[in-house]
Amino acid sequence: MQTTISFVLDDKIVTLDFNSGSSVTPTTTVLTYLRSLPIHRGVKEGCAEGDCGACTVVLGERAADGKLHYRNVDSCLLFLPMIHGKQLITIENLQNVQGQMHPVQSAIVETGGSQCGFCTPGIVMSMFSLYKNQHAPTREHIEEAITGNLCRCTGYRPIIEAVEEACVHHGIDHFTEEEPEILELLTSISHDSIHIQTNEQEYFRPASLKEACALKSQYPDVVILSGSTDVALRVTKGHEILKLVMDLSGVEEIQSSRELNGALILGAGMHLHDVAHAVEVNYPALHEMLSVFGSQQIRNIATIGGNLGTASPISDLLPVLMAYQATVILQRSGAARELLMEEFITGYRTTAREPDELITAVRLSPSPANAVIKSYKISKRKDLDISTVSAGFRLVLNDDTTVKEINLIYGGMAQCVRHAVHTEQFLTGKPWIRETVEAAQLMLHQDFEPIADVRGSAEFRMTAAKNLLLKFWVESLDEKMSKNILHISTRS
Amino acid sequence: MITHHSSPSSGNVSHESASTHVTGEAVYIDDMPVSEQLLTGRVVTSVHAHARITSFDLREAKNVPGVHAVLCFKDIPGQNQMGPVVHDELCLAIDTVTFIGQAIFLIAAETEQQALSAEKLIKIEYELLEPILTIEQAMEKNNLLGPPRAMERGTPDSALRSAPHVITGELRTGAQEHWYLESQICLSIPGEHREMNIYSGTQNPTETQILIAEVLGISMNEVTVEVRRMGGAFGGKETQANHVACWSALLAQATNRPVKIRLFRDDDMVMTGKRHRFLTRYEAGFDEHGMLLALKLELNSDGGATTDLSFAIMERAMLHTDNAYFVPHMAVLARVWKTNLPSNTAFRGFGGPQGMAVIETIIDRIARFPKKDALEVRNKNFYGIDANNITHYGQKIENNRIHAIYARIRESSDYYNRRKETDQFNATHEFVKKGLACTPVKFGISFTTTYLNQAGAHVNVYTDGTILINHGGTEMGQGLHTKIRQIAAAEFGVSLERVKVNATNTSKVPNTSATAASSGTDLNGAAVKNAIDILKSRIAGDMAVLFSEMHPDTPSRREDILFQDDTVFDSAHAQRTMHFDDVTKQMRLRQISLSASGYYRTPDIGWDKQKGWGKPFHYFSFGMCVSEILLDILTGRHTLLRADIVHDAGKSLNPLIDRGQIEGGFIQGIGWCTTEEIKWDNRGRLLSHSPDTYKIPTVQDIPKDFRVEFLQDAPNPGTIRQSKTVAEPPLMYGLSTWLAIKDAVSATRDHQIEPDFSLPATVEMILLSIEKLKHAPVRNAR
Repeated sequence: MQTTISFVLDDKIVTLDFNSGSSVTPTTTVLTYLRSLPIHRGVKEGCAEGDCGACTVVLGERAADGKLHYRNVDSCLLFLPMIHGKQLITIENLQNVQGQMHPVQSAIVETGGSQCGFCTPGIVMSMFSLYKNQHAPTREHIEEAITGNLCRCTGYRPIIEAVEEACVHHGIDHFTEEEPEILELLTSISHDSIHIQTNEQEYFRPASLKEACALKSQYPDVVILSGSTDVALRVTKGHEILKLVMDLSGVEEIQSSRELNGALILGAGMHLHDVAHAVEVNYPALHEMLSVFGSQQIRNIATIGGNLGTASPISDLLPVLMAYQATVILQRSGAARELLMEEFITGYRTTAREPDELITAVRLSPSPANAVIKSYKISKRKDLDISTVSAGFRLVLNDDTTVKEINLIYGGMAQCVRHAVHTEQFLTGKPWIRETVEAAQLMLHQDFEPIADVRGSAEFRMTAAKNLLLKFWVESLDEKMSKNILHISTRS
Repeated sequence: MITHHSSPSSGNVSHESASTHVTGEAVYIDDMPVSEQLLTGRVVTSVHAHARITSFDLREAKNVPGVHAVLCFKDIPGQNQMGPVVHDELCLAIDTVTFIGQAIFLIAAETEQQALSAEKLIKIEYELLEPILTIEQAMEKNNLLGPPRAMERGTPDSALRSAPHVITGELRTGAQEHWYLESQICLSIPGEHREMNIYSGTQNPTETQILIAEVLGISMNEVTVEVRRMGGAFGGKETQANHVACWSALLAQATNRPVKIRLFRDDDMVMTGKRHRFLTRYEAGFDEHGMLLALKLELNSDGGATTDLSFAIMERAMLHTDNAYFVPHMAVLARVWKTNLPSNTAFRGFGGPQGMAVIETIIDRIARFPKKDALEVRNKNFYGIDANNITHYGQKIENNRIHAIYARIRESSDYYNRRKETDQFNATHEFVKKGLACTPVKFGISFTTTYLNQAGAHVNVYTDGTILINHGGTEMGQGLHTKIRQIAAAEFGVSLERVKVNATNTSKVPNTSATAASSGTDLNGAAVKNAIDILKSRIAGDMAVLFSEMHPDTPSRREDILFQDDTVFDSAHAQRTMHFDDVTKQMRLRQISLSASGYYRTPDIGWDKQKGWGKPFHYFSFGMCVSEILLDILTGRHTLLRADIVHDAGKSLNPLIDRGQIEGGFIQGIGWCTTEEIKWDNRGRLLSHSPDTYKIPTVQDIPKDFRVEFLQDAPNPGTIRQSKTVAEPPLMYGLSTWLAIKDAVSATRDHQIEPDFSLPATVEMILLSIEKLKHAPVRNAR
């Protein structure tokens, strides 16, 4: 058991203990830590909640292929122990030893991609991670990489242009040369479990699932950290001191996916970015929802287990997971059980998880070939926004005419994500034609009485819910047509 | 004027800080190294929109270890006042609070955590009072912030009576949060005796200096305010940066230690004012061709709890209700209402966008009658070149560029063909609709408070041939310092590398105006030129003497001495030339002063505010924007397919920077028009208090096809190097996107019915507007 953490910064191993004299605590964010150092003040705080990207840094990690992989993250959402064993790259590291700018830096200068400059270090870091990962990025790749970085001055156009200009060197830069050295340093850092105890706090970072389960049964009230995009806000915005934390970022067993009897098992600790990759081909509706989930920085931190654990009533993922009839696997020391998402979610932010259980995996099973599954999200802004209404729909027809099975799951319409039971019953067995769908729209009033809040009025939520049903009907008519939904006419 | 083959004054020079922005080396106030004495300041604010403070107890808070001061209104040595124009704004509340987020106490502690702990221990008792939270509630109670304002031309009442068609209506435009990336911040460092050195993120260092002197009870010559750069401002730091500055200075004075206050994002959003929301009622008369005959407007704005700049903003709104259109008979009545919300303040456009949104709505509605495209109707109503060229406040529009811009954009954007394509598309698509709109911008340039149109500069030349410019403008990302540097290099005939622009500092250039009203380059650039002209004249005089001493037979004349390509030479005797480096050394040896102050005031402007008549503006900025959107009518989601902008920047000083201003302003305008929605609850609490719930545009919200061009061959007479400012006007191009969305909504009923439409066009507003249209019967005006 270690009591310190180590990571690579400025090409050296930095080890932090959290002794009483230390100015950092185990829940100090990477952002706060960096800004306390004299030479790492380029990183900025814009919001302290992962919504602006001014604090973006890049983490270098040894991946399964033995190479270093780079991902952009919001440093305001990461507690220091979460970067244990990783390389922390900041804006100050991008110039080479001769002081020459990195291609992504000089491109911003040339295109006029900075005005006030406050968001710029974060933007440059997102560009740098794209530079390393996409050697010929499309406009979509660029948008995806930059969505998590708000800029209030430029209107973004010169930033897009800068990425296009910079990313022509096949990812080659001084980091390429230094890679063997960094890998060696990272390898030298122990992956043993970590236990940090200070006057006020106790922080566990177990190295195995067994250990994590044992800790969970010993400390049922421990705050679980699996991605931290939610929990970190209790510190950065709530100014709370978390007394007892268990960080799952060291439990490698739950950080990958595997195929099992045709099903896909997603480890609960998988980052959403990796989940999106794993489900891209066989679960497109889930993939599509993930593409508008938060930002790349968020998806590089947040985990699927962490997301389910919050049991949010406006969850992006739960409706589509329910539409795929996914299950969640819960584990305690020596035992595991598997529940349907509908069984797992029990109410407003409550789940069937027992205090000594951990979410360890999500199972997705293939749907019948004729099932149509879609996901929808209504939000104020298309990207990097929380749903006002989210939906996951599943349809199986008899002979292409009448409804054999239909699942209509909505988020944002009730205390928790749930099925529109009356509407489902109404539609079952009926012909899948516009008239029945329009009649079914009215049935939604029997299923939901949505609330009004900052994200939308009750009337808006109900209108949106009805419209999504009609949209699903339109898109279900022909899978080929659905790809071009914006260009079809259904009433001639 | 000296001409150059490659003038640095009109080149695509990168932002002077670009290379430090991208490396993270650019220093913002929170990045400054400060001594270990530094304390963190925390502002404790009201949690009620309207309440009487019946008692409070600070003793426990003061006893928290590490806490060095807990201040209340009694601890203010000077005036308890920080209103910029009207003295109606308390620095710290006394016995009543009038909005949530109003400062009551200040804490200075060694750490943030200690300050937060102390805050929790403050005991305060309130007696709740009824708050006023909307314009309508303020109207009911006749709760005005000041007397109404009016402007009138012609006989609008009788013209309306005789007009063939009349429409009446109401338009709501929403508030907007600045969302500068760097939140409000100030570092105050006490000097010796009573001195106070202030590092503030303020657009108005002089006003910050004045208010700190008043609040601390010291004199202006004891307060120095310095601004290196701001991480965005957009008007939000024109007056409201003063607050944080006053509070941190009070704490620094009380503790005699450096104190920094940096507002957390949520606190910033809750405590500071926004763009004013407006409720405007209109009555417009027009003929069968869509020609505007008469207009009566009643503008109402939500000023918030105090005056701040609300009347100047309302004035600019009134002055922009014509936008680019000639209205023969017009009456504008305006009222600023007092509510229990944070005082609303300057925001790029400063009332102009709110005024323009009304007339653009009216024209859009009028176009439905002759069943013409709205752009045709707009074109008919544009101000004329030789006739119909006097605004409703009596200013003649000179150098009217709107027709040239219209001619260009209808071609470059292929507008009328795309209108046909849009109609065809909509005829064959039920669930998606396209929308197209083109709107003009005519924006008046000058502070409408005429005396503010002045600027100062101080230029030092050093003996190594380098030049240091001080001027009164502040850098907030707009590229002011870059343009000033270009102007200085061009005027001095030297390379750009020789010129550095200093941090703005009230001890270098005093008594300045805010960097606002799009005036930064026009005013400060001209003041810098004036200082350089003085220096050049002085140097030329002595260089003529120097050359004459070397050539006594053919003396050089002062008027022949020119500055070009890093040399000073006699244009009458080409061999008599000296490198600029040597010139500066010679001047020192010859006891010639190498520093000079410059000054500028805008000539020939002035108007009667009471009558609402005269010439408030030095010139107008012009431009037009076409937006084309695709709307999914089931989700309310739109995609901005293409935007075309033709903008008049005069002879652009720096097309790279000007384009950045155009694009950035447009996207900010799109934000105001679409996703940025401010909501309060029924107790006056801000619901959209973080980026989690308040949505500014991301990279995915910009036009998929984004075309920006400058109007060619359009030098601007009477401004620095024939340029025009860019700054505010492009924000109003966002209205074209807003009306393109309305066009698509309207297409759901084949443009037969006027949709209910307000601003912003959120997904919610759009879906509900479509929903209403579904069931609406066809109706018409009289």
